[in-house]
Amino acid sequence: MNWSFMVVAMMPEHLLLIGIAVLIALDVLDVGQRYSALVATAAVLGAALMATLLAIVQFQGSPFPGHFSVDQATLTAKAVVLALTLPLLQLSRDEFGDDERFYILLLSSLYGVLLVSSADGFLTMFLGLEIMSMPVYVLVLLAYKRHEAAEAALKYLVLGGAATAMFLMGASLVYGATGSLALDAFVKAAQAKDTLAVVAVILVLVAFFLKAAVVPFHTWAPDAYEAASVPVTAYMAIVIKAGVLLAVVRIVGMAELGSPLVDLIAILPLISMVWGNLAAMRQTNFRRMIAYSSIAHAGYLFYALLGDGPTRLQAVIFYLLAYGLMNALAFASLPAGPDDARRDRLDALKGLYHRQPYAAILIGIALLSLAGIPPFPGFVAKFLIFKNVIAAGYTLYAVLGLVGSYLGIYFYLRVIQLMFMGSQPEGTPSAGRIAVAAGVLCLVPTIALTVFPGVFITLLGR
Amino acid sequence: MSDSTMLNLILFLPVIGMALLVPVRSPTLVRQITFWFMVIQFALTVVLYLKFQAGVPGLQFETRLPWIADWGVHYHIGLDGFNVLLVLLTAFLGPLVVAGAFSAIQKDVKLFYAMVFFIQFAMLGTFLAQDLFLFYVFWEAMLIPMFLIIGIWGGERRIYATVKFVLYTAFGSILMLAAIIYLVWSLQQGTGVTSFSFDDLYKHQLPLQAQGWLLAAFALSFAIKVPIVPLHTWLPDAHVEAPTAGSVILAGVLLKMGTYGFIKLGFPLFPQAASAAVEWVMLVAVISIIYGACLALVQTDIKKIIAYSSISHLGYVMLGLASLDLIGIQGAIIQMVSHGLTAAGLFLMVGMIYERCHTRELAAYGGLAKILPVYSVFFMILTLAAIGLPTTSGFTGEFLVLLGAFNSAWPLHVAGNSVPLVMAGLAVTGVVLGAMYMLWFAQRFLYGAVKVPHAPVVDLNARERAILATLVVAVFWLGLFPQEALRKTEVAARQYQQWVDVAAKPVAPTARAADAALQPEAAR
Repeated sequence: MNWSFMVVAMMPEHLLLIGIAVLIALDVLDVGQRYSALVATAAVLGAALMATLLAIVQFQGSPFPGHFSVDQATLTAKAVVLALTLPLLQLSRDEFGDDERFYILLLSSLYGVLLVSSADGFLTMFLGLEIMSMPVYVLVLLAYKRHEAAEAALKYLVLGGAATAMFLMGASLVYGATGSLALDAFVKAAQAKDTLAVVAVILVLVAFFLKAAVVPFHTWAPDAYEAASVPVTAYMAIVIKAGVLLAVVRIVGMAELGSPLVDLIAILPLISMVWGNLAAMRQTNFRRMIAYSSIAHAGYLFYALLGDGPTRLQAVIFYLLAYGLMNALAFASLPAGPDDARRDRLDALKGLYHRQPYAAILIGIALLSLAGIPPFPGFVAKFLIFKNVIAAGYTLYAVLGLVGSYLGIYFYLRVIQLMFMGSQPEGTPSAGRIAVAAGVLCLVPTIALTVFPGVFITLLGR
Repeated sequence: MSDSTMLNLILFLPVIGMALLVPVRSPTLVRQITFWFMVIQFALTVVLYLKFQAGVPGLQFETRLPWIADWGVHYHIGLDGFNVLLVLLTAFLGPLVVAGAFSAIQKDVKLFYAMVFFIQFAMLGTFLAQDLFLFYVFWEAMLIPMFLIIGIWGGERRIYATVKFVLYTAFGSILMLAAIIYLVWSLQQGTGVTSFSFDDLYKHQLPLQAQGWLLAAFALSFAIKVPIVPLHTWLPDAHVEAPTAGSVILAGVLLKMGTYGFIKLGFPLFPQAASAAVEWVMLVAVISIIYGACLALVQTDIKKIIAYSSISHLGYVMLGLASLDLIGIQGAIIQMVSHGLTAAGLFLMVGMIYERCHTRELAAYGGLAKILPVYSVFFMILTLAAIGLPTTSGFTGEFLVLLGAFNSAWPLHVAGNSVPLVMAGLAVTGVVLGAMYMLWFAQRFLYGAVKVPHAPVVDLNARERAILATLVVAVFWLGLFPQEALRKTEVAARQYQQWVDVAAKPVAPTARAADAALQPEAAR
């Protein structure tokens, strides 16, 4: 094991670290704050390209055996997460363009996501999860626009802390049951039948359910999503969710799941789909609605674990790609409003087609895709997951899940109905700028995914 | 240009047209572009229709390219006896729909024609697709433009109607999706091949119980689309609230998606289950015929009369498909096209009078024949075609369906099972009821004392006359010279009959193998 290998294997992480260091230097020296967004974008873009490059050359290895390893699949996952962050950075320039603190926190959290997706042991996984979550507690409060933000951030912090505690407790019980802190100890514990192991498995799973906002551990999400500013909400909905799911896939790995574990993994996500989709119908705020939508989508993502071992990571990455892109597209196209609370109201979208036709069409595409209506990429992603679930023999769960996803169609359509069929309310400001760069950044891959989904599936499946 | 290239061009012309509309600002130019694109599309379709060879089994003008290679999904389109007439019908109605909306649609013109392009693309794609995944993508994609067409340009309760339409059809589709995944997975289990190709799936033999479940899921989706009583309640709402163009597309083409689904997919994919269910299909078909007709009889809204008559007319199509008699099956195909022509024409005419008088209440009208002679002549021709007067397309369709139903019912009656005969007999009463409600409607509408809500009313202008004249020519063409159309669909009808009917007998595997051996591309 030599130094150059260690440097190359963790190159995406190192590039982020360099970005963080430069941003801190800018902050300390009090110069060039207006380049913050640029520095952060350069770091993330560099890291994304590096991860892609390493994936293409099929780089593989373990710089810290037992703690951290990379292979083609994890590098692809990292590349996807990093690429999904790029439109968010564009999106944040309006609000946080010269606030280096925002970018330091965001890159730190991103570092945690990368760490999680490469973790081999419970220690690294814990470290990654904490690095990923901590900055977000602050991000929710950063540049807060409403008084409720403090309450939401505190709620998020407390529940996040509870999740951390449960994860630690679960990990220590896994160690007690199996004598190992390697990640595959989790599945071993799940196959053991004694109480200690069962409690350990449940604690770890609940920790992830909490972090991914699966019903009934979801109550922090709508508040936090609503209180945070748009780029932060988008970051939570896309990247944090991606980090949590990549962690779960990492823990479950390729192992064959036995009967109790499968039901544990399937039932709450199924309820999540149904409840998330039903509750979303009643929302009057865009971000709250997206929060419930993401609760439902967490359900689909956990469903990917029901598939056979090798298919899991592919399904999760493809789903995250489609889901993340669509959320980013929707957030990027959201028109500006007089203030945050009014901008967030669904009523503000009324008659949007007549004010900003392209924004309305983009949001429409994003929502139809999230609803899983073909030909948009969300459909292929959902198809992939349910195909794997049926292929693994869980036909009943698949049918129930599909019916659960059907319940979601209505509230997405309702937004489209508002945008295209509603008449413009009186006194609405005629137009605001939309984040064109971010929209285009999302639209191009969306079209590519719609027309050539097969190319991406083949790439991810290798 | 090779023929298969031309077929691809026909399919993608609407997409090109949609892209062309983006920079255009003038509504007039938008209308012109859309109209001429549709005309070109129809012209190309006619060329292919004439080149389409009768008596050759299997696909013609085929294109097959890998799309999602890992799952064995192909972009696979082609014409065969099942879809050739429906593709022609879709392309034929395209320019008429566009021209019919010239004056009616004044709001968001560009979006409207973009959506007409979109739905044209999705409908043609659904008919042409020879790959189950591709079929499903087009099938579901149809919802999006229809949702907007009804929801933006519809009547007062348009939001309710369009949401109902989408939620009904999407519910059927989601279960069909589960069935598709299961079907393909079981094919993979059985043969090791992952494929969504219709040809591969036809050859796949499933146990009867699995067939039953899968057929139920497919049938639910198709039956909602047709619609078959009691799944029809979205239809009157959608028709009444839709703008004229929306109603024409719905009645003209969209409803045929359901019956096309049955003949192309539902029954041939699950032949044993289908032949076991044939009598039940006949029963719901007869119920649809009679129930639709009875409801049409008591409506006071002009559009609702035609909407319910659609339910009745599509009942004949289902009856023909369930008869498993060659004549009946061919009649069903003709009836699909015939209903597409007459219902489209009647909805266009209702739209024309609505533009002038702004009400659809039948009681508000009377004696139109005296003040609108041209309108009345066209209306009468289409009415007579709808009730199946000889020399019109409606006669060809209904007569062949009933003939087929009796053909298949008589031997069963002799063998001791009189149920099909009774049903065929009941179906005939539908013809009588059909004549009753349509003629009574025409009588109150066109004759009697002159009564219009919005005098003075002007008669049809040149554009409207041209649209209706084109339709009437098509109606007579199919009524007087059905031979050409029948020849082109005969092989497909025979194939369908053998697959579903032979499956009922124990010699099924050999018969199907022999049938497959006849097909050059099945051996591939």
